[in-house]
Amino acid sequence: MSEQPTEIKLHQQSRLLEITFESDVCYQLPYEFLRVYSPSADVSGHGLGQEVLQVGKMEVGISELIPVGSYAVQINFDDGHDTGLYTWEYLYKLGENQAALWQDYLDRVAAAGASRESRP
Amino acid sequence: MSFIETDVQSALKNLIDPNTKKDFVSGKSVKNIKISGSDVALDILLGYPAKSVWDEIRAMVEAHLKTSLPGAGKISVSVSSKVVPHAVQRGVKLVEGVKNIIAVASGKGGVGKSTTAVNLALALAAEGARVGVLDADIYGPSQPTMLGISGQPKSADGKSIEPMTNHGLQAMSIGFMIDGDDTPMVWRGPMVTQALDQLLHQTRWDNLDYLVVDLPPGTGDIQLTLAQKVPVTGAVIVTTPQDIALMDARKGLKMFEKVGIKIVGIVENMSTHICSKCGHEEHIFGAGGGEKMCADYNVEFLGGLPLDIRIREQTDSGNPTVVADPDGNIAKVYKQIARRIAVKVAEMAQDHSAAFPKIVVQNT
Repeated sequence: MSEQPTEIKLHQQSRLLEITFESDVCYQLPYEFLRVYSPSADVSGHGLGQEVLQVGKMEVGISELIPVGSYAVQINFDDGHDTGLYTWEYLYKLGENQAALWQDYLDRVAAAGASRESRP
Repeated sequence: MSFIETDVQSALKNLIDPNTKKDFVSGKSVKNIKISGSDVALDILLGYPAKSVWDEIRAMVEAHLKTSLPGAGKISVSVSSKVVPHAVQRGVKLVEGVKNIIAVASGKGGVGKSTTAVNLALALAAEGARVGVLDADIYGPSQPTMLGISGQPKSADGKSIEPMTNHGLQAMSIGFMIDGDDTPMVWRGPMVTQALDQLLHQTRWDNLDYLVVDLPPGTGDIQLTLAQKVPVTGAVIVTTPQDIALMDARKGLKMFEKVGIKIVGIVENMSTHICSKCGHEEHIFGAGGGEKMCADYNVEFLGGLPLDIRIREQTDSGNPTVVADPDGNIAKVYKQIARRIAVKVAEMAQDHSAAFPKIVVQNT
């Protein structure tokens, strides 16, 4: 079984989800990062190469966290996206590889000529 | 020679409960020690139902105290059981009237899940617990037949339903709601999961220590709903020693691991075949498969049951083996397994590590 988190803290002003695991490892994951790496099929697709690039999510907020069994949490974002179930394992992986994943996302946004900012 | 309460405590520290494999003091079972003169009286409160071994434990504790407390006069020990409710993951609504939910599952069909589930439920009840059975197999409900229950459940308020009862068990199954034995439930997944949710939450379970959920085979809709919406304490996996069944049992086990449900252990059904003519015992499905799986995944082997014609005949006729032949060898095995499950469940109940993390929302 993967490592269990002991606390999830939402910092609504700075838009950071702070997750602490049993081993006292703690990650601060920006909402935007979580949103663009949602495990939902809308975002990740149904296999490698099917990912759909998410852009304009810089200011996205989280409206609710809904527990799913004892293994995951459903994050409801304020842009209406609520189909991603973030398992403890997935959140750990996001935290562990945060820097590399984020750089990869920025590269992909730049390559697509898109912007992180939401258009008015 | 006189002695004080701590002497009694330290004497019991050296006595191991054969069921939990822990001593009685660290198992927090010793209560209410009273010493008057040279007489000692105390209570042993077990966290699992064990009516059939109360006397054994009483005799064991009394004999142990007699030898380790020289000069003691009358020693009186009273043994009882109290099942503790488990910690529930947050967000999942606790089922009213139910302390612990035990899921009985397998990967493969036809390995004897329902037979095992009903006999284990009856064994838990025989040990003094209040037990219910929820038949989660919507497409092929077996519990009405196995429990010998017919007729439709009643509803006092038009919203909730009263569980059916027989052999001292409370039971609920989709089988009670439909007419005739040959009416199929031709339903898609969402209908099935909704039906399960209603059977679980709208039944007026009356103060159950354990609710045994008899799951259908596979790793689909029903299993996922159970993992996401039902506060399950732990799962018991049933398999036969056959490779083809073990393959799927492994998948079942991995699924529960993925969704954070603890595995209580594995029951190997049809371990051996006992010939009803000559009594010869043979491993017709192979030997040691269940044990090997347990070793591979580091889970407990709860026990093995023979492929015996009596189990099939008795259970099919609505009188499962544990009630049909309560003192027989097979019933003894079921009771042993039930006790192991109860002990494990009691341990899980005290372990809060799997509880849902605290969620804090801050304006920072």
